[in-house]
Amino acid sequence: MVAKILAYVVRVHPAFLVVLSALLLIDLLTLFSVSPYLAVKQGLWEVFGLLMGLGILLVPYSFFLKNARWIYGVVLALLAIVFLGGHASHGARRWIGLGWFQIQPSEFMILGLILFLTWLFVPEKRDIPLRPARFAAGLLASVFPALLIARQPDLGTAFELMIIFSVFVFLKGIPSRIVTISVLAGLAFFPVLWEGVWTHLHEFQKDRIRAFIDPASDPSGLGYHTIQSIVAVGSGGWFGQGLSGATQVRYQFLPGAHTDFVFAVFTEEWGFAGALVFLALISYLVWFGFRTAMDCRDPAGFYLSAGVTGFFLFCFLINVLMVLGILPVVGVPMPLMSYGGSAMIVSLGAMALLMNVRFYAKR
Amino acid sequence: MAPRPENNMASEFRFHKNGILGSPRARLNGLIFVFWLGMAVVIVRLYVVQVIKHHHYLALARDNVVKVVPIPPLRGEITDRNGVVLVRNGPDFAVFEIPGEVRHPRRELAWLAYDLGIPANQLRHSLSRLGFVLPPHMPVPLETGLSMAQVGRVNMDLYRLPGFYIQVMPKRIYPPDNIGAHLLGYVGSFTSSDLKGSFYRHLPPGTGIGKSGIEKEYDALLQGAPGLRRQLVDSHGRIVRNLRNEPPKEGRSLRLTIDMRLQMTAERFLGDRRGAVVALDPRNGEILALASHPSYSSEELSQAMSSARWKTLVQATDHPLTDRAVQGLYPPGSVFKIVTTLAGLSEHKVDPDASFHCAGTFRVGSVIFHDWKRGGHGTIHLHKAIEQSCDIFFYHLGMTLGPEPIARVARLFGLGSRTGIDLPAELSGVVPDREWKRKYLHTPWYPGETPPMAIGQGYLTVTPLEMARLMGAVAMNGQLSHPHLLLGERGNGTGQRAPDLTPIPIPKKDFDIVRADLRDVVAAPHGTGHPVNLPFFAIAGKTGTAQVVSNRGKNKGTKRPKADSWFVGFGPFDDPRIVVAVLIENGGDGGDVAGPVAREVFRMFYITRLAEKGNPTPAVAS
Repeated sequence: MVAKILAYVVRVHPAFLVVLSALLLIDLLTLFSVSPYLAVKQGLWEVFGLLMGLGILLVPYSFFLKNARWIYGVVLALLAIVFLGGHASHGARRWIGLGWFQIQPSEFMILGLILFLTWLFVPEKRDIPLRPARFAAGLLASVFPALLIARQPDLGTAFELMIIFSVFVFLKGIPSRIVTISVLAGLAFFPVLWEGVWTHLHEFQKDRIRAFIDPASDPSGLGYHTIQSIVAVGSGGWFGQGLSGATQVRYQFLPGAHTDFVFAVFTEEWGFAGALVFLALISYLVWFGFRTAMDCRDPAGFYLSAGVTGFFLFCFLINVLMVLGILPVVGVPMPLMSYGGSAMIVSLGAMALLMNVRFYAKR
Repeated sequence: MAPRPENNMASEFRFHKNGILGSPRARLNGLIFVFWLGMAVVIVRLYVVQVIKHHHYLALARDNVVKVVPIPPLRGEITDRNGVVLVRNGPDFAVFEIPGEVRHPRRELAWLAYDLGIPANQLRHSLSRLGFVLPPHMPVPLETGLSMAQVGRVNMDLYRLPGFYIQVMPKRIYPPDNIGAHLLGYVGSFTSSDLKGSFYRHLPPGTGIGKSGIEKEYDALLQGAPGLRRQLVDSHGRIVRNLRNEPPKEGRSLRLTIDMRLQMTAERFLGDRRGAVVALDPRNGEILALASHPSYSSEELSQAMSSARWKTLVQATDHPLTDRAVQGLYPPGSVFKIVTTLAGLSEHKVDPDASFHCAGTFRVGSVIFHDWKRGGHGTIHLHKAIEQSCDIFFYHLGMTLGPEPIARVARLFGLGSRTGIDLPAELSGVVPDREWKRKYLHTPWYPGETPPMAIGQGYLTVTPLEMARLMGAVAMNGQLSHPHLLLGERGNGTGQRAPDLTPIPIPKKDFDIVRADLRDVVAAPHGTGHPVNLPFFAIAGKTGTAQVVSNRGKNKGTKRPKADSWFVGFGPFDDPRIVVAVLIENGGDGGDVAGPVAREVFRMFYITRLAEKGNPTPAVAS
């Protein structure tokens, strides 16, 4: 079975394999320039993630969808454990310790939620219109873990869950009048909503939003992330400073160089030319996901692959625009690139789900 | 969006058709459109930041990374003419602060002050002096001259004093017993007002800069050039790697014209009295000794000093900070009779052979002037008038001359203007005449003011250095020297400059007459300068006992202070090689008080410079 799947991937989708390998190598190289230790760890996670992906390929996606409730439930339980008493690091409580490594259940909730929403919105492989009851269930299934994660605090991942929910609702289709009404209502109640959200934000989260409005107002404080990130990107030039010349990264002026700002590291080292190559690789993956969904004859497979693609492309865009100072620093990591074991497994798992749909969907 | 043909074939299920954009496929296309839109924004933004504004951001990145810290240069040493080290550098422990790394300044300064055992407000004060002008990564010395006990206590506390550290830095070591303090001066750390001038801007804080004396005059030479330590730092200011350093350039070591042996002799015999001694070589203007008392400790002034201590120094009634040799203004007294005599000779108003009767008084209008010797000197002529310093003779001569010729000759000798010695803050005396009085005092010259001027009193003031130079010109037949202290830089040979002498338009025969008289002032048993006489060394000179009542207004009418004592002389008589000028404030009789000091300087000069050349060896003074 493994041989058959591998043969399929290699023969039918060699480009996908090449692009994915290229991105994983770029990730390792970039992290290596930040910290060789992190690169080694990330390499282990990549291998682990690829094995997990292979595992995912062995099981048809319909099985995952059938058991989506249980998968979702297990991840939610893990989140609850973290919420009640997880492993704290840098003032945040996000991890569950498992011997020499920790896992971050909030990341797995991404896959869990994608599966769960697909199962919820496409029951018995039929694309039925979205009814309020299912909409409400999906909203609850997204908001509850999002709130738990936001309390960790990890605004970025909570934000990602809401992106996933929005993508599904958007794909599912909302009647035009409801869209109109909610937009108007949202505008009308925006101050109230804003107030409600704003008061529940942590001070550092508020600071990030304030800094976004005017990054230069306090260069060493609030806008520091954004300014150092743009300086790093800008000093890259056409062809970059190379691995040793990228001083912003080497001398740790760039905060979060290995996580949220890994794209800034890459562009400082490889410049505009490198960034174009990188964007082309990412675009290929997005296009691959898009084609998977479009070519899929099974509505569940369509929503699953479209959900994965939507999640991937939005997280990617938000991260890049954040690095370039166009969006506030909300803490959305770059899928496939940012350092983090759980995130890497989830990203590779998402890729494996795409391939899974390709392989198992009726064509 | 119309489904593509292959999709039609592929689709075996039906999407529901409600909602915006028609179908899920159309909506997925919408998402992809959003992606392409986002990508376009990303690429445009990347192009702007990376290509168009590349240089701007690259410069910002470079600023981020390289920290430049100046390395203080080692200040040059100062030696006397024979290479005896007068000022050198020694180690000093100081606690430094990097303002940018201090987290809780108030708390940590309090700890530090406790460890050092000094009031906390004193520390804060020194911090605020420079804190605002310098970049935050520049180390600033907070307290220098730490004892080992203080170093130990601070060291134990360093773990909770981030941004503070202890470092050895050079300090200036001056001769013991404050020898040559005025001449050498002292250094001090620069203040924020010094920083505003461009010269010191590149120096690291804690570098001493000359504040007075030679240290100030030749600061640019002594200072050297600071090196630069370029360090790659990370965002926490931690040093990642040292880049190419520019080593500091050590300051030049200076060799002065001073002869330490003469300097020490002068100070020793000046003792506790207020006064000054100047010894110079009339042939070239080299200063051999330049002493002033009371003095101060250069080392104490070079260190951070409490404002109270500074205040007591500045306000002390005996003015220890004043260098009396070049800043002290005194009436020259009878020494000035040399000038009056030369004025008389050049105006042909005095005949060396004509006799004159001194009755002990001299009358101008209703004012009666007295001779210092009650009853007068009887019948004398010029020679005896100088030898015994007869006042009446010079009153008379002065009245026949008037103030202008005397002032003219005085100015020929450089009185009334600075000698131009290489010391900061030299002052010049005053040579009065009718025009001067009209200009500065807005009153006419009264005839009764001429006789005091003729004997070096009244408005006339001089510095000891000016008198030494005057005597040097007399010794050298009117060759006026230009006093200086810098002989050269150490290791650069003798560095003697070519004698730079300005001739004075007075005939040599006039000088011959005056010199013969001056020789007898010392040599003749009744000469006022006889206490200076040495049997083995032909000295000529003139005493002065200058009453100070008229010129120091505050004392007028109160108890009469003792007169200032002068002796100014040169030797050897036939081949002048040294001029010594001694002034002792309120000392009394010139010959008896100032004379012996000059004699001992002459004696030391003879012992050290002449005796070995086949001259008889005298007994050393006790």
